[in-house]
Amino acid sequence: MHIQLGEVINMNNGLKSGLVLLVLGIICGTLLAVVNSLTALDIQKNEEAAQFAALEEFYNIDDYDLSVVEVNDDVDSIFVLRSKTDNSIEALGYLVSGKGYSDVLLQMMILIEKDFTVKGYSVVSHSESTGFGVDILENDFGVSIITDLSGFDSVAGVTRTSEGIQECFYIVSQRVTGDFGGDLDD
Amino acid sequence: MTKKENLLKGFVKENPLFVSVLGMCPSLAVTTSLENAIGMGIGVFFVLVLSNLLISLIMSNPKLAALVKPVRIPVYIVVIATLVTIVEMVMHAYLYDLYKSLGVFIPLIVVNCIILGRAEAFASSNKPIDATLDGVGMALGFTGALVIISIFREFLGAGSITVWGDLSLNLGFIFDFLGIEPIAMFVQPVGAFLSFGLILAALTAIGNKRIEKAALNGVKANG
Repeated sequence: MHIQLGEVINMNNGLKSGLVLLVLGIICGTLLAVVNSLTALDIQKNEEAAQFAALEEFYNIDDYDLSVVEVNDDVDSIFVLRSKTDNSIEALGYLVSGKGYSDVLLQMMILIEKDFTVKGYSVVSHSESTGFGVDILENDFGVSIITDLSGFDSVAGVTRTSEGIQECFYIVSQRVTGDFGGDLDD
Repeated sequence: MTKKENLLKGFVKENPLFVSVLGMCPSLAVTTSLENAIGMGIGVFFVLVLSNLLISLIMSNPKLAALVKPVRIPVYIVVIATLVTIVEMVMHAYLYDLYKSLGVFIPLIVVNCIILGRAEAFASSNKPIDATLDGVGMALGFTGALVIISIFREFLGAGSITVWGDLSLNLGFIFDFLGIEPIAMFVQPVGAFLSFGLILAALTAIGNKRIEKAALNGVKANG
């Protein structure tokens, strides 16, 4: 099999073009790393502020001893609200992520009372499209007791987003009994 | 084409939204408020101007241009995606409310036809200064178009205009005077298409009138 000189030159040109693209990628990646290092702290502060704002929609956190438990699981973190008098768990706030439209994560804060009633829930962050996609995030999904999701009310037309929200509720429902039962103290 | 013409062509003559009808998807989606329109405009301005400049700098070097040419589209995408990611991170850090409001449409700037279109059609074959001026003109023209659509939609749909943050103009008294409610449909998706169509029709009518007038003046001048 003979390879002509012209083909070798063409191959080299292709390789050089690929290398140019590689170098450009490295430069861009480095630039993004620099910007990320400058903005990461502020982004984290904004995210935390949004999480606390979601919690404060339903509870005055000054009335409780608040601690945050990081969970390496489907749940991102758990906000534990304890009574100031007897240190018992009064409520749990689950920061949990589910897959919404196009497999993009949406993050919810779901607040559960010690009798398993759902105090409230709100979407902390999402990547749903504006308009109807966002409007339905404020919908009442019909969950009042976290251990019973049979009444979950999905929204027609935005099935994927509804599924993401349902997934969040499901994850919480699977562990809430244990968490109130003392698993968080272990 | 002079530098002034190069800068100004994006405002009216070659307006990316009203004349070329490019970048429709994010334009119609984010124009529910003036604040969103300005925010999207700032993002597109930053990306378009810098991508035009960088791509022109790369392509104005003959040796580099010869190497880049076979892989030029991936190169454009890498440059544009980097700039868009920077915009996204900066908005996430310093303009959080706007970041949440624009949502998925910030990363979607990467695939905005205007930016890739100007890179391929203009920046790759013109000098850096011309490419930058083209980017500035096109970005301002795009932002202007977004502002017009958003004012139209928000005024008719909500009876107010959100300029930035807490600063907003409450124009509900106009609706009170007319004895009607704001037409909420205009801030819904259907209102986006309707508004765009009405504005485009009005601009086309004005353009046609001007052409007609110029033709009449020409006939008169020639006797």
